[in-house]
Amino acid sequence: MSDNFFIRRLWQTVPTLLGVVLLVFVLFNWVGGDPAYLLAGKIPNPEQIENIRRSLGVDQPYWMQLWIFVKQVASADFGASWSTNEQVSQIFATRLGPSLTVLLPLLLISTFIALAAGMLVAYWRGSLTDRAIMVGCTVAQSVSILVYILVFQYLLAYQLGWFPVQGWGGNLAENLLRYAALPILVGVVVSLAPDIRLYRSFFLDEIGQDYVRTARAKGLSEPRVLWLHVLRNAAIPIVTNVLIQLPGLLAGAFLIERFFSIPGIGREVILAVERSDFPVIKAVTVYVAVATLAINLLSDVLYKLLDPRVQLK
Amino acid sequence: MAAQAADPSKILRVTFQAAETGFDPVKVSDYYSGTVIEAIFDPLLTYDYRARPAQLVPNTAVSLPEITDQGRTYQIRVKPGIYFADDPAFKGAKRELTAADYAYSLGRFLDKKNHSPYAFLYEGIAKIETPDRQTLRIRLKGPDLNFGHVLAFTLSGAVAREAIEAYGDESAARPVGTGAFRLKRYTRSSKIVLEANPGYRERVWEGQRLPRIGGVEISIMEETQSRWLAFQRGDTDIEYQLAEVATVFMNADGTLKSEFARRGIKLDRSVDPEIIYFYFNMQDKTVGGLSKERIALRRAIAMAYRIEDQIRIIRKGQAIRAHYPIPPGVAGHDPDYRSAIPYDPRAANALLDKFGYRKGPDGYRRQPNGEALAIRFSSTPTERDRQFDELWKRSLDSIGIRLEIHKDRFPELIKLSHQCRLMLRAAAWIADYPDGDNFMQLLYGPNTGQSNSGCYRSPEYDRRYEKSRLLPPGPERDRLYREMTRVMEMETAWILTDSRYRNVLLQPYVANYAKHPVLHTEWLYLDLER
Repeated sequence: MSDNFFIRRLWQTVPTLLGVVLLVFVLFNWVGGDPAYLLAGKIPNPEQIENIRRSLGVDQPYWMQLWIFVKQVASADFGASWSTNEQVSQIFATRLGPSLTVLLPLLLISTFIALAAGMLVAYWRGSLTDRAIMVGCTVAQSVSILVYILVFQYLLAYQLGWFPVQGWGGNLAENLLRYAALPILVGVVVSLAPDIRLYRSFFLDEIGQDYVRTARAKGLSEPRVLWLHVLRNAAIPIVTNVLIQLPGLLAGAFLIERFFSIPGIGREVILAVERSDFPVIKAVTVYVAVATLAINLLSDVLYKLLDPRVQLK
Repeated sequence: MAAQAADPSKILRVTFQAAETGFDPVKVSDYYSGTVIEAIFDPLLTYDYRARPAQLVPNTAVSLPEITDQGRTYQIRVKPGIYFADDPAFKGAKRELTAADYAYSLGRFLDKKNHSPYAFLYEGIAKIETPDRQTLRIRLKGPDLNFGHVLAFTLSGAVAREAIEAYGDESAARPVGTGAFRLKRYTRSSKIVLEANPGYRERVWEGQRLPRIGGVEISIMEETQSRWLAFQRGDTDIEYQLAEVATVFMNADGTLKSEFARRGIKLDRSVDPEIIYFYFNMQDKTVGGLSKERIALRRAIAMAYRIEDQIRIIRKGQAIRAHYPIPPGVAGHDPDYRSAIPYDPRAANALLDKFGYRKGPDGYRRQPNGEALAIRFSSTPTERDRQFDELWKRSLDSIGIRLEIHKDRFPELIKLSHQCRLMLRAAAWIADYPDGDNFMQLLYGPNTGQSNSGCYRSPEYDRRYEKSRLLPPGPERDRLYREMTRVMEMETAWILTDSRYRNVLLQPYVANYAKHPVLHTEWLYLDLER
């Protein structure tokens, strides 16, 4: 692992981030509309519209607005929400906890189950079990997450009363054990089908390799062959898949957060889009981009740890 | 003492279907923030909870305002002995409500720094004076007999200067008022917990001290299924808006289905004080103007539009036909008025033929001068608006007029509307205060570019409107309103369509509920008799 690698990768983030900034800026100004007309109320007059535009800075030339955006990215200070006046940093600080309370267990549980199931069906490749699970996964993958949410909420929470229909409490234990349980279950069920199919293909790539045959010839037990040798060699694409899901999950879990009333980041993002709240939209886009870049870097480092043959150049 | 009136064990659990934006009266414009603000702050005047149509009564004022100078001056005395809820901003001292607090609070709407969305309601104020500690005198720029409604408006409650200055940009999250409730816990866009204000003044209503309940727990639930299931499970006590699932719990005649009635669930059904309408841009070169041909074109379009289909299909039956620009529950509403423009595509076709809108070889009509004719309907790219697009297509096809759909973002449509650059668009208006003037001003010529979205300028209408402004609610003003409505109909500036129902579901133990036309909450009066 050379220092040059890290320096070069960090430098690569600069043009990527600039690209993100430019894209967000162009998209918002093209699609978002003039926020002053949203904030001005039922009967705005031209003077009031101008006042609002001035206070938001949208009366400035585009190049100046873009420059302000770049400075905000550099200082990680996106100012205050246009609709609630709450500091954007505060919004993320308070919404991150609930999002992670759901997403981290979801990711851990779904990854563990998908790994085990993927490995088993790869091991039983071509058997009735394999085919049945693959058909099941294809069907399950074809169903929208919205259907899972509606059915699980109705059946498990409302009809059977196993979980609360929705809600969020005041402490971590209550949230994790009571309110987050059903959202986690829904998330796990939704992500299992694609993950099992994907991991099965990773394992199949490895199971036919010479080193597996050698391990078996040496008399190693089948679980040891699978869990130690095959898993370790299939780990690189698995780690990539798990890590790359993280930033997207954070902002993309809005449906789960809305239906189960979880005060998380995904819900806040949708609210910001509905309200044309550009500071929040800017911040979340940049944060997701930065997180993606950081995770890519982390993935590279993990590759090296998982497989010493990997050279980071 | 008043604090004993509120039972801390009685916590009302309700939901909002959209997130609030904050609780500083000058900074908000959304319904849900206004609802919480109404519970925390006290305006000078309010409305009698039971009286219909809505009737102004003193709140923190000793009596209704003394109106002099032909409606140009309002003088009000503030009751002594009313205190703000304890707050660190007052540094441990009890803080009494005075006339200066109202002068400060109303003045904030006029301060351009605050760019309040509701500044338009207060623009008539010329000067605010406080001749003594408890007396407030408001001088208006011109006569306005409806200004009492502005003083009763949800956002006209008193804030304390010390609190606003102490919390600065955080004022939207740190409300300090004299109202029946105070903010106890707040997770933005998720949970708002109010508790009965222990320092609330002694207030008796129908033999009961108010408030009866110890607090209100508001959960933000955007999704209908979540709200509906939570209510059925008994997790919430009142459900304010379930239009999407109304057919699940309501019969076609608007009564509660027996399985819910058997459980003791109560349904309160009322029509919102709103109107929904389509406006023509009266400055548009194709549909605008007051020439006979243009009036005939607009009239024919109005006669072809299927309002009943809009109510049946788009509203799923959860609306009533609006015939009059002033909705039920608002002073000036005329329940006997019937639109003179019927649904009659055959007559509409005949009218267009008569005024020279002939059909071309493609089956679509052309303008009398031979130019192509197309009606451009503007709407947002939402699922609901697509339904309106389809209804318009069917309606205009029935009279051989080509429809063009213009899709744009909501703020852009507002902007184009203010600039009189749209041709036809839907609009809705919900009462800010329960007086007909709040609706009739939507068609007043000088309001073009602001609330008069259709840029309608009719000398006949404007002359009568100016006269109506000088009259108190009553038969004479009602007569003018009827005439103005006929003028608008004859010139067909709008197509009035409907007003939506509000179906409120209540658990069996919720007592004293009565939906008020303009008060947002009934929390002050409610009781939970479990």
